[in-house]
Amino acid sequence: MTPAFDPVGLEVRWDRLATAVDEAASTMLRTAFSTIIRESNDYTVVLTDRRGRTMAESRAGIPGFAALMSSLTGLVLERFTAQEWQDGDCVITNDPWIATGHLPDIAMITPVFHRGTLVAYAGTAAHSPDIGGTPALGATDLISEGILIPPLRLYRAGRVERGVKDLLLANVRLPGPLWGDLEAQAAAHEVCRRRAREFLGDFGEPDFERFAAEVHTVTDAAVRAAVRELPDGVYRAGVDADGVEGHPTHIECTVTVRGDRIGIDYAGSSPQVPFPVNSTLNYTRAYSMYPLKILLDPGTRTNWGSYRAIDVTAPEGTIVNPVFPAPVVARHLTGHLLSCAIHRALAPVLPGRIIADSGGAPALRVRFAGVDDAGRPFAQMLFANAGMGASREQDGLSATAFPTNSGSGSIEAFEVASPLRIVRKQLRPGSGGRGRRRGGLGQDVEVHNPTRHPVQLVVLGDRERHPALGLAGGEPGATAQAVLDSGERVPLKSVSQLAPGASVVISFPGGGGFGAPEEREAELVRADELGGYVR
Amino acid sequence: MSRTVRIGVDVGGTFTDLLLHDPARGLTWPGKLPTTPHAPGEAITAGIARLLAETGTPARDVAGIVHGTTLVTNTLLERTGAVVGLLTTAGFRDVLELAREIRFDTTDLLARPARPLVPRHLCRGVRGRLAADGAELEPLDEDDVLVQVGELLQQGVEAVAVAMLHAHRDDRHERRVRDLLARVHPGVPVTLSSAVAPVVGEYERASTACLNAYVQPSMTRYLDRLRDDLLAMGIDAPLRVMLSGGGVTTLADAKEFPFRLLESGPAAGTIAAAAVARRLGEPDVLSFDMGGTTAKIAVVGGDGPRRRHDFEAGRVDKFKPGSGLPVRLTVVDLIEIGSGGGSIAAPDALGLLKVGPRSAGSVPGPVAYGRGGERPTVTDADLVLGHLDPAAFLGGELPLRTAEVRKALDREVAEPLGLDTAGAAAGIVEVATASMAAAARTHLAEHGRDPGGFALVAFGGAGPVHAYGLAKQLKITRIVVPMRAGVMSAYGFLVAPPTVDQARSLPSALTEVDWERVTALYAEMAAHATAVLGADGTQVRLRRSADLRYLGQGAGIEVELPDSGRPAADDLRRTFEETYRATFGRSLDGPAEVVTWRLSARLPGHDIPLGCEPVAGDPRRTGRDVWFPGHGRLAATVWDRYRLRPGTELTGPAVFEERESSCAFGPECRIRVDDDLTLLVDVGP
Repeated sequence: MTPAFDPVGLEVRWDRLATAVDEAASTMLRTAFSTIIRESNDYTVVLTDRRGRTMAESRAGIPGFAALMSSLTGLVLERFTAQEWQDGDCVITNDPWIATGHLPDIAMITPVFHRGTLVAYAGTAAHSPDIGGTPALGATDLISEGILIPPLRLYRAGRVERGVKDLLLANVRLPGPLWGDLEAQAAAHEVCRRRAREFLGDFGEPDFERFAAEVHTVTDAAVRAAVRELPDGVYRAGVDADGVEGHPTHIECTVTVRGDRIGIDYAGSSPQVPFPVNSTLNYTRAYSMYPLKILLDPGTRTNWGSYRAIDVTAPEGTIVNPVFPAPVVARHLTGHLLSCAIHRALAPVLPGRIIADSGGAPALRVRFAGVDDAGRPFAQMLFANAGMGASREQDGLSATAFPTNSGSGSIEAFEVASPLRIVRKQLRPGSGGRGRRRGGLGQDVEVHNPTRHPVQLVVLGDRERHPALGLAGGEPGATAQAVLDSGERVPLKSVSQLAPGASVVISFPGGGGFGAPEEREAELVRADELGGYVR
Repeated sequence: MSRTVRIGVDVGGTFTDLLLHDPARGLTWPGKLPTTPHAPGEAITAGIARLLAETGTPARDVAGIVHGTTLVTNTLLERTGAVVGLLTTAGFRDVLELAREIRFDTTDLLARPARPLVPRHLCRGVRGRLAADGAELEPLDEDDVLVQVGELLQQGVEAVAVAMLHAHRDDRHERRVRDLLARVHPGVPVTLSSAVAPVVGEYERASTACLNAYVQPSMTRYLDRLRDDLLAMGIDAPLRVMLSGGGVTTLADAKEFPFRLLESGPAAGTIAAAAVARRLGEPDVLSFDMGGTTAKIAVVGGDGPRRRHDFEAGRVDKFKPGSGLPVRLTVVDLIEIGSGGGSIAAPDALGLLKVGPRSAGSVPGPVAYGRGGERPTVTDADLVLGHLDPAAFLGGELPLRTAEVRKALDREVAEPLGLDTAGAAAGIVEVATASMAAAARTHLAEHGRDPGGFALVAFGGAGPVHAYGLAKQLKITRIVVPMRAGVMSAYGFLVAPPTVDQARSLPSALTEVDWERVTALYAEMAAHATAVLGADGTQVRLRRSADLRYLGQGAGIEVELPDSGRPAADDLRRTFEETYRATFGRSLDGPAEVVTWRLSARLPGHDIPLGCEPVAGDPRRTGRDVWFPGHGRLAATVWDRYRLRPGTELTGPAVFEERESSCAFGPECRIRVDDDLTLLVDVGP
């Protein structure tokens, strides 16, 4: 194909659309209510062509989610064909097999019309503050996890579909914030829509077809070039995790490189379980694409073309490709493990780029809920992170999430929003796996209940018995644990009570080390001792 | 004797720019010297001495000096500040190292965050705890404080930062620490988080306190020394210092809170643009300041630029948010991107033409300077396109090397991308202009504004050169190019109003505001401001604002409050909704809350003309071919700006040259020279 644009024309157009979706993402962040969007960056914003293939994806947010937006829009377009759309429509869905893998994530798709023609779609996905259902962990099927929204029109020609809105809001605990977040997504769509039209007007182009074809070709070629650098072969790794009682999780990962294609298959992984740690194939794809992309071709802007050379497959009925109605709300406890497996598998061919297991793969999430002494209800997530794995040349980052990028909120804000008190939040000396390069440190967070009422404590994590392993002779990081001041341990997948006056210490795990500990340079050993990073 | 002479001094990374103004003589006189990085005072005193001599001004006639410097920024970037110890609440000694727990670049697994200013072994927790509402849960353990500080001092700590939990609600523990140290260890400088940033967020407050402590000893020495040097020259006029928010403050205030000087350079440019807007009677303008490494764009009203109240200093990667250290600082709200005259152009791995953010800086600089630069830059492209006269650059002091530039363009850009030389040059300018236009659109959208109605005020060495192209992309029809594009920062210093910005955190639902308490807070802030400004209250203009948000949101937006009295809750709600709608295109139902109360106090600024008397002689220089975006190469007339007379009206295609910059306008433009020798350009359809 002859290029439609010269290197200048293409760069100018591409930069313009990339800036537009970043602007839309910033609008969403600034207007969102959910702390999960704000503090965990649990969202994505994209602009697709008229076939639903992304042309631009927001740089901030969950990188893996953007990789799902093309297939998501494609599935929505199977139900709502191009002829049916009107300007001002908006379709929403949270179907875990269509969208991002669990019910709290709501995706929205809006068409963009230019001079009467449908030219593009704006898409977002974001974690809503509540989606109904029973509290975490009890669920043994999807329906008990909350309200399932198949692709439905929330807006028709700019007017809200009253029935859909009422039904949705009637089934959640926090209708106000949930609606506020949907408004934030709509505001982001509005930015995309305006910027897309402006783009076509300014460049005097009728639609995005030529541009989309070209950026898809370019990104596809970049990924294929990177894959070609890898020696052909089959690379394998297995990862084990606590899983749920009686059902430890095993991930079996086979990476096959043939010329300019790369396949990741999970045959041999654990079967799906009647507990909410199943990862739909969508989520499995997202958390395979992202760790792979940053190994192969980190710098290039992503779009639909970036994922064409990559196949992600898993047998139906496994924990990484469960069938409906598998419960999925804690799917990250499985999905985050995939990054460890992929990096481990590629260690022989990309030794300078991969990292050892991260303590935060999977992330440990803690939630408190109750009433304060004045009888006012509260619900508060504790945002804190484990240590990252070390790489060949660098120590792992302490208290930093990977493969997600959830940050941590302010302690002062936490204490304003809840009656709880944080007694300490400190690095956990000695928790980083020893090695020539040390794993990142986890942290200890101690939370005290000063109220007269018991507080519900929900802990969702892993790595209680399976630490983040090291690579190339590096040692594992410390395991995770949650311990009450009575000395009693709180299981890492549990719902329990924090009694009045009681405290709990949650210890976030450390990352794996890289290389033999004896090879660590003396000056780094001294610095570790001076800083108190080791015991 | 009436002292009327004021001098602005801007110490930049490469040059120290000065501007002297004497209203009594109608005199505005510029000066420029290479900065002396080892002792910045040398260039300052030499520059002032030269200005005084050139204008025949006795030192005793100097009524004021306004100074701005990049020294704070440099200290941070080079990590040459004091050894700081941090005292915080027990259990939270890792507040700096934990930071926000994010990766600023999710595509780079090996990216490292900015190193904290205080290493872990110098961060100490002390017993003593407040609750979120400020109530004392555990008294401060004074013995613990003294033991910890004693150990820190033994380890070589030179300055102490104190950042306790909830100190923005109640500063009693922090104040107690300060008083203890003043008694037991007098002479050790102490910065309190509640004094530098009394707002919620322990990490950001601690970071701000540490930054202030880190730069304070060197800034104090520097400012005292400068004061002495000026006295030695016979200048005993007040020395004032430019702030990041666009105001100026006293020497004493600057020494106590030197972190507030961080962004004084970019602020000064927008203050200058505001003065230009006032002189032209424009309600607001788009300020476009393009220098060697970056372009800065801001919406600026005649009353001054808008401000934001957070900033990130010392970024590991200047253009990656999250890669630096957060500072609760009032800064001018501007967008800065890596497009400057020195930005390097090169194809990327995908075969696309990229421009910046890497810059050739001033050394080695663009290829055209002949100082060893081999990678083509935006300035090199400008030269090939005819925007710069190779013989007249910097008044002819720096002959530009066209042949080398063409070779470098061919080698680095044209051949790899299959373009010809002119196509490569035009492409570089197009890509750079497009990213500036995209940044401008984003910035304007954050204010809920469209570019269409604005006048574009262009300055900085490269701003005027690219003003026409940027205006075309933004569909802006009016361009304003003041004289002396290169000394606009120094001009900004001279016109900036003395300002004190303060904030207090007192969160409450909009319907439940404790107005008595708020009124008391404002009285306290106003009293402090008036004292610092050293003025009788009648001249001080107080502006009140508050950060509001819907209950449950994270980010607040700043909403103006009436200047005095207690606003009705309904009015406040309406103003909030209007501001919110203007910013985000929609407003919501649901309760709103106030997070932070703000007061900005200022004295009137000075309005001074920028122009100079035209020089006699024919303003027309030899014409040349110039490439114009959208038109291609056209024969253009070339004008000497120093010889154009006020009132002259011209049409494009035309080039206007001054010592430090030039600008070119296409055939659809009408250009008028106003009384200040400012060019007012109407861009036709």
